[in-house]
Amino acid sequence: MGRIHDYSVLRVDLETRDIKREEITGEKVKNYLGGRGLASKILYDELSPEVDPLSSENKLIYATGLLTGTAASTGGRYMVVTKGPLTGTIASSNSGGFFGAELRFSGNDIIIFEGKAEKPVYLSINGDQIELKDASHVWGKEVPETTDKLIEEFGDDRARVSCIGPAGEKEVMFASIMNEKNRAAGRTGVGAVMGSKNLKAVIVKASEKQVKYNKEEAMKVVKKQTKMLKEDGVTGEGLPSLGTKVLDNIINSNGLYPTKNFQFGTFESTEEVAGEALVEKGYLQSNKGCYGCPIRCGRDVKLPNGRSGEGPEYETGWAFGADCGVDDLNAITEANFLCNELGLDTISAGTTIAAAMELYEKGFIDQEELDNGPELNFGSSEAIVYYTKQMGLREGFGDKLAMGSYRLAESYGHPEISMTVKRQELPAYDPRGVQGHGLQYATSNRGGCHVRGYMISPEIIGAPEKLDPQELEGKPEWVKIFQDLTAVIDSVGMCLFTSFALGLDDYREIVNAATGFDYSSEELLQTGERIYNLERQFNIEAGITPDEDRLPKRFTEVPLPDGPQKGEVSRYKELLPKYYKIRGWSEDGYVSDSKKEELGI
Amino acid sequence: MKIEVKFYSLFRLNLKSSGIEYDIDGAIILQELIDKLDEDFEGYFSEKLLDSGEIRTGSIILLNGKNVLHLDKLNTKINDGDIVTLFPPSAGG
Ligand code: SF4
Repeated sequence: MGRIHDYSVLRVDLETRDIKREEITGEKVKNYLGGRGLASKILYDELSPEVDPLSSENKLIYATGLLTGTAASTGGRYMVVTKGPLTGTIASSNSGGFFGAELRFSGNDIIIFEGKAEKPVYLSINGDQIELKDASHVWGKEVPETTDKLIEEFGDDRARVSCIGPAGEKEVMFASIMNEKNRAAGRTGVGAVMGSKNLKAVIVKASEKQVKYNKEEAMKVVKKQTKMLKEDGVTGEGLPSLGTKVLDNIINSNGLYPTKNFQFGTFESTEEVAGEALVEKGYLQSNKGCYGCPIRCGRDVKLPNGRSGEGPEYETGWAFGADCGVDDLNAITEANFLCNELGLDTISAGTTIAAAMELYEKGFIDQEELDNGPELNFGSSEAIVYYTKQMGLREGFGDKLAMGSYRLAESYGHPEISMTVKRQELPAYDPRGVQGHGLQYATSNRGGCHVRGYMISPEIIGAPEKLDPQELEGKPEWVKIFQDLTAVIDSVGMCLFTSFALGLDDYREIVNAATGFDYSSEELLQTGERIYNLERQFNIEAGITPDEDRLPKRFTEVPLPDGPQKGEVSRYKELLPKYYKIRGWSEDGYVSDSKKEELGI
Repeated sequence: MKIEVKFYSLFRLNLKSSGIEYDIDGAIILQELIDKLDEDFEGYFSEKLLDSGEIRTGSIILLNGKNVLHLDKLNTKINDGDIVTLFPPSAGG
């Protein structure tokens, strides 16, 4: 096994069943770190950006981060990078749990899947023994059953599984890839690409649990950073006790809690569905953590009907809750469980139903089309559960929902009812109430998304400092730094949640200690900038032009009708020219030649 | 005049209370409201919300949904019918 920054790559041709080993070392690693960055570089170098995402020419890359598998706090994450079917942009989706670390231990830092298997297969990695195996018997099976069955066949229950459910097989545009049953590489439809390749799963068990890095140096830093994470109000107290669902009341009280497909900014039944309610009603059983995580934000939940599982997270609870006008925590949690079982992204699933509800209530969808399913009315707990299942299986009206809200609304001639950016559904913050976050939505490289530059942190929560959410001054600068820093964190293989307590200098310190690199903070942040620009360039070459850096009209033309942000609209258009300028791009938003040269793209 | 104070997150779980209403004579400022809460909750709120006499980083104090950090901080005036919402340093999604 090489040093930690010598990447060992497995190239798997699904068509010929050929498996090759390659190495990536030196400058490329220094310039792109690993995880999201290095995988994006591979995709950019190898894939023609125009390919159809669901064709056999597309590639699907599993990539561990630079520090995945080390003792770095939360250092267990992996990324799945491909060209995404939902957006047509570069798609990368991040997941925690234990799969990523196990993959790293096994000495397969990156796996590149190419082509399409003739019949369903899965990749089995048992120490040095690596082979493609027949997956016909688990094709069509849900995530938990697939996971259990593959582990049983493998014969070692310490093996880790990352797989798709029926939704991925049926190429639902926002299908997820799930590991350890409940952890999701959720967004951007990476599961559909996996399904289109007839690849059901990857199962891995390493022969020894270690990676080679400067352990002694790194441990000193890890000790210090664990203490920082434990002592911080957010990572030491808020996230461990209430998980991400502490946000329901915060975002609702601030008036940017999107309700009924973003028609309103506050939800009258928030108290019923908030994180506090999960605790008070006794549904919350215990909290859980991913590999090497001192924060432990995951939740095990048990419903009165006996169903149990993980979740719901803030975004999920909101997508099926307030966004669909539903105040029944049981139904919301049930829809969440279904998403995990079928392999669906919860944000896109819930908000696509919300868009369908608005289309239905406005008379654009006829009742006959629903195939005897429940009416798509806001507030219907029956509808969210029923259509989630239909969507995951592409049955009845679910077949239409499986296209995502943009294509759905467009097919009825009303794309403006889809709350998406670059065809991906927006998450749980109304951009009319947070100006910087709106700019981040508009410019995110993977479409509507909150984890590419979480401006809610400074604009609402107050970390690292509190900014006025309605102020425009300084926001483009903040968005750029947040986007670049997030690219670093994603590529290093740590969890984004650490950034509530850690800053750029801390990431530099742990990266340098573990690898022996000598980044300055500026150089490390520039690495993030390089990754961000490379993704942008891929998108432009894929035909997603800067013209698509835009929010749905509702946010600029219809002022929020209620709550503390009443009367506000998003002013991201005023911020865009400044943002392009700060990025060093052309006036119309293209990555300039000088920027490419500066960053070595 | 009437003021409604709402507790969320760990405040709510730790105190087992979702809030309190006050009926006060004359206008007050936020600092005075916190003093009042301290009397009723044994100094709990200034300990959690404040740090050497200033609003602790990450604490969220809203007056009718607007963060007081962008109003007048601890000197923010509270009027009849106002809602004050309190969160300890919290979290993200
Ligand atoms: S903070 Fe939560 S999501 Fe992140 S590594 Fe820890 S448990 Fe996993």
